[in-house]
Amino acid sequence: MIKIKIRDASQQLFAWVSALITLAACFGIILFLLVKGHGAVTLEFLLTDPNPTFQAEGAGGILAPMAGTFIVTLTGVVIALPWAIATATYLSEYAKKNLATAYLKLAIDVLSGVPTIVIAIFGVALFTNPTLGFLSSMIEGVEGVNKAFGKSFLVCGIGMAIMVLPYMIKTCEEAIKAVPNAFREASLALGASKKITITDVVLPSARRGIITAIILGMGRIIGDTAIVWLLLGGSIRMTGQQPWWHLSNWLSTLQNTGSTLTTYIFLNSPAGEGNKPELAFAASLVLVVIIVFLNAAAGLIGFMGKVKEE
Amino acid sequence: MGNVLVEHPLSKTNGSAPVSDDGCAIVVENVNAWYGRKQVLFNVDMQIKKNEIMAFIGPSGCGKTTLLRCFNRMNDIIKSFRLTGTIKIGDEDITSKNTDVLALRKKVGMVFQQPNPFPMSIFNNLRLPLAENFPDLEKAKIEDIIVQKLKDANIYTEIKDRLHHSALRISGGQQQRLCIARMLTIDPQILLFDEPCASLDPLSTKKIEDLLLQLKEKYTVVIVTHNIEQARRIADNVAFFYTGKLVEMGPAKKLFLAPETEMLERYLSGKF
Repeated sequence: MIKIKIRDASQQLFAWVSALITLAACFGIILFLLVKGHGAVTLEFLLTDPNPTFQAEGAGGILAPMAGTFIVTLTGVVIALPWAIATATYLSEYAKKNLATAYLKLAIDVLSGVPTIVIAIFGVALFTNPTLGFLSSMIEGVEGVNKAFGKSFLVCGIGMAIMVLPYMIKTCEEAIKAVPNAFREASLALGASKKITITDVVLPSARRGIITAIILGMGRIIGDTAIVWLLLGGSIRMTGQQPWWHLSNWLSTLQNTGSTLTTYIFLNSPAGEGNKPELAFAASLVLVVIIVFLNAAAGLIGFMGKVKEE
Repeated sequence: MGNVLVEHPLSKTNGSAPVSDDGCAIVVENVNAWYGRKQVLFNVDMQIKKNEIMAFIGPSGCGKTTLLRCFNRMNDIIKSFRLTGTIKIGDEDITSKNTDVLALRKKVGMVFQQPNPFPMSIFNNLRLPLAENFPDLEKAKIEDIIVQKLKDANIYTEIKDRLHHSALRISGGQQQRLCIARMLTIDPQILLFDEPCASLDPLSTKKIEDLLLQLKEKYTVVIVTHNIEQARRIADNVAFFYTGKLVEMGPAKKLFLAPETEMLERYLSGKF
């Protein structure tokens, strides 16, 4: 009897300690960043463009990297979402149980396991092709070279879309499969075609899961570095026509390069080219805060949807 | 309640079920059906007259729901399903490959065992089929029809202040009447009910039964029920199924008073 009690208690203790370690790791990182980075996070830091310089006073802020993160995330999600919904709809509503479907599912699994640096190097090979030069810019002034530059916000967004596609497909597919069959039957019994049933009943019913897929995809894109490094490049500033934020320059900004928060962190850390770790910590803090907010938003949407349906 | 059953504003058929020469809304001839290799219906012959309530009774798995779902081809979504024989609605054999299934389902509405309103507002539950079937309707007209159909389903006064709230937040009985209202928006002629009261409390059941009695004035009603008392209360004719065979069929009064077969007698006395 005592033996059993001791075993139970030790198991419970083990579970508690495991949970505590996870919590400690999460809060440890946030606390560390807060301590190291909070001093540098000022309104000016958030609202000025960075400068490549050795002097800390002239280094500027993270406006362009934040905008870069935003642009890459938006293009990635905008490209991936329709693709993901279409694939997920096919898999859950149309695909028959056969070899072709099995291969498609395997391909999605494999893609989700491909390291992002491999997707990035594939992107380099693809987008330096001169016929895709319109997505970035052509290399000029080098004799005998007919190649595209292969680095731009557009190219990076496409790379990101490929990267998040498998995750978004899976989340969307689960959301669509979770829609009760009763809704499909109700719609079909009203004389609606299968297509209308899917577009007007099934997908709207799965919208909560689809929003979750969007937020998950955004989180992955925001945190990625390898694809940004190879497909957007190592310049800390926006390289398109200035001022980059002017609406008339939007295409130039998209076709040229810049940085995101992740490459900004890398470039400012001692491991990268810079030596301004306090700025790297400050940018990391901003990045983590954005990710925490995104996760909170995902949770909130799930919660609100539940309340609304009850 | 006198004006509850008002004509559909778009009705082209004056609401009467299509009638073949002998006055029947549905004529079933020699129907056999299978799920995969398992035969679930055996040589069923049946005639369902217009403007009556026909109730299918019998123990679980006897094939009554399968036959009901043949009338609007809902079995089509089950891949292993196969059927022989003919089912005529009006002059058309609806088992034919050439049948326009979408048009058929607009003629033959269906309400399911579990209330299945879409996860959207009450109003949009009815607007969706209307907008889909009658894309040219003006907004005001759509609203008129929705209110009318909710009234036809005896639910309007209960929910008129909550039209734009989620349909999932009203009670099960109200949801089921909402589903009936939604079915009526497509202007059907035959109404199929698959155990519509199975998940409802007695009061909600009573409301649905009263509604069915009103609806038969204008529509032909076929209902599957496990509840013998319900069949006794509302049915004009009753068909008793057992293991895929139509065992006995006739006017409800006669069938319940003096069953011809021993099988039905045992079923009615609860010996299954």
